[in-house]
Amino acid sequence: MRIIDVFSYAFSAIKLRKLRAGLTTLGVVIGIAAIVALLSITQGLQVAISAQLQRGFATDTLIVTAGGGLGGVNEFNLLVKDAQTIKEMDNVTASIAVIQRICYIRMPNGQTRRVTVTGVDFAAYREIYSSAFAAEEGEIPLNPEDDAIVIGKQVSNPWGNGTILCRTGDTLEILWTNTTARPLRNETYVGRVAAVLREIGGFTIGGPSDNRIYIPISKAQSFFGTETCEMIIVKLRNDDRATIDSAAKAIKEALGGRVSVTSSTAILNIISSVFSTVELFLAGIAAISLLVAGIGIMNIMIVSVMERTREIGILKALGMKNHQVLLIFLCEAAIIGLLGTLIGIGAGWSLAQIVLRIFGSSDRVGIIRQGNQAGVSNGITITPVLTPTVILGALVFGLTVTMVFALYPAWKASKLKPVDALRYE
Amino acid sequence: MAKTIIKTVDLRKTYMQGKIPVEALREVNLEVKEGEFLSVLGPSGSGKSTLLNLIGALDKPTGGKLFIENIDVSALNDNQLADLRMKIGFVFQFFNLIPRFTARENVELPMSIAGLSKGERRKRAEELLQMVGLASRMNHKPTELSGGEQQRVAIARALANNPRFLLMDEPTGNIDSKNAYEIIRLVKRLNEDKGVTIIMVTHDQQLATEAKRIVYMLDGMIVRETVN
Ligand SMILES: Nc1ncnc2c1ncn2[C@@H]1O[C@H](COP(=O)(O)OP(=O)(O)OP(=O)(O)O)[C@@H](O)[C@H]1O
Ligand SMILES: [Mg+2]
Repeated sequence: MRIIDVFSYAFSAIKLRKLRAGLTTLGVVIGIAAIVALLSITQGLQVAISAQLQRGFATDTLIVTAGGGLGGVNEFNLLVKDAQTIKEMDNVTASIAVIQRICYIRMPNGQTRRVTVTGVDFAAYREIYSSAFAAEEGEIPLNPEDDAIVIGKQVSNPWGNGTILCRTGDTLEILWTNTTARPLRNETYVGRVAAVLREIGGFTIGGPSDNRIYIPISKAQSFFGTETCEMIIVKLRNDDRATIDSAAKAIKEALGGRVSVTSSTAILNIISSVFSTVELFLAGIAAISLLVAGIGIMNIMIVSVMERTREIGILKALGMKNHQVLLIFLCEAAIIGLLGTLIGIGAGWSLAQIVLRIFGSSDRVGIIRQGNQAGVSNGITITPVLTPTVILGALVFGLTVTMVFALYPAWKASKLKPVDALRYE
Repeated sequence: MAKTIIKTVDLRKTYMQGKIPVEALREVNLEVKEGEFLSVLGPSGSGKSTLLNLIGALDKPTGGKLFIENIDVSALNDNQLADLRMKIGFVFQFFNLIPRFTARENVELPMSIAGLSKGERRKRAEELLQMVGLASRMNHKPTELSGGEQQRVAIARALANNPRFLLMDEPTGNIDSKNAYEIIRLVKRLNEDKGVTIIMVTHDQQLATEAKRIVYMLDGMIVRETVN
């Protein structure tokens, strides 16, 4: 029997039971669509995040924060001058202290907003994050006046709709409540906007962010009345594993082991491994729905073999061999499996687009909308990603599941004895 | 002398009905020569269908031997039996056409199984349907045909792969007597004009006498033979 004839025979059998074949196909469609949608969303997420990370993370930096000892209340304070100590160490090319406080700023229009005020050495910060700490408007002063301020894009243009709250040259009043003083004391000073940063997007660790304002470190020290800092960002000569490890160890030792040193690269690795795990988990759940579809196929095929027992008897009486009967039934399953998988891939892709459109209103999906200490996020743009690997994988998986579950009924059909099959009513 | 194409030697078939053995055939010895038209006559349950199914390689004997063109059928495996069936034309009482196929597609089916190309099959199917007088019914499905017409399609299908012989199990059992005689006339013509060897099972005395040789069965044995 020619393969084309096997195929057309199988097709004629499917055509006879359109509704049943349609429902069986639907099972495969749903399973494959779920897998494809989940994978293309998570992969899109991963692509978007790593793109943002490339900008917000400098892979050759270390973040030093107080704490990290074993248990107990940490009394240790990281000092601004510790940055100088670290700077003199091997493999370190820059080291800057960062002071952060939640403050209120009064805009030129009289509105007040809550922002994180960050004190850094503009020149050194610029050296580490040259692409992110860059002015869109005005100029970042390298030897700033005390009242110079650099503001993030979102502070200037919070809704992204052209309503600019403040721009270069405007003055901002900064209000800070000193909660450690008794009684509480309100401090204020007036700063002048020297530059507005260009949009950064995404989230960063230690790096610049769209919703902050930046003041010179010396001003931060005097205004907040402190010698301690929240973190020290260290730039290394390169991002070799060995350099990172030895520098981290040296810094820890120099500061009495009471600090934690985090490498941006390590964080990148953790984030991507978390994503892989989540992706695998979700795909696993989707795969279960495909298995359910497989059981559905098996069920339908068993019924179909029973219904067509007499037909199988006729085929065998006409000289059809066992393996040809097997082939016909497998071919029926393959047609359903292939059709279901192809439609499923298309449906999954559309589903991913729809999901991201609904949950990513105005093209932005907030992941971690929170600004404190090190991690800062604004929101990132996600478009689903459908790689050839996913398409091919879905095809192979969809067809395999269909065929595996079709195997038993097809095998049963092929083993029927001609007389018994012909006698079947 | 024409050569022997079917030969049974003490052929037996015992069915197990639960634990009770039912002897459907006991020691049947039959020889059929090329070009013969043989009819098998006997009461219900006498083993006629059982014998025909064995000769048609649809079932396996439980004892004795069956030779088709000097080949010991009991020694064949499943694939070889399938090849043998391709060379045997079988016509059933209930037609056994594939309902979703047209008359022509039904006749094409055995040729498709044999691996013939679409063009070859189509041409031969049309010739065969013309021969059985159904040229104008080729694109009708079985449900759109009368019993007699369906059986003629089944005969055309049985002839598709140029079989060594034709086995017919009560081919007129489901057809009214007028159409039954049409079928018998067709069968006789096949035998006389085309030299097709035919074994026809029936329990209609009248029809049986159309054959050249009649074999009488009773309780799983051949009890008598007459030649016209
Ligand atoms: N699959 C089977 N299992 C058990 N017994 C069977 C089976 N097939 C046939 N028999 C028995 O074998 C005997 C012969 O049956 P068979 O069908 O050959 O008779 P028949 O001569 O063709 O009868 P009919 O004229 O009614 O068709 C019967 O007693 C029948 O009950
Ligand atoms: Mg019978």
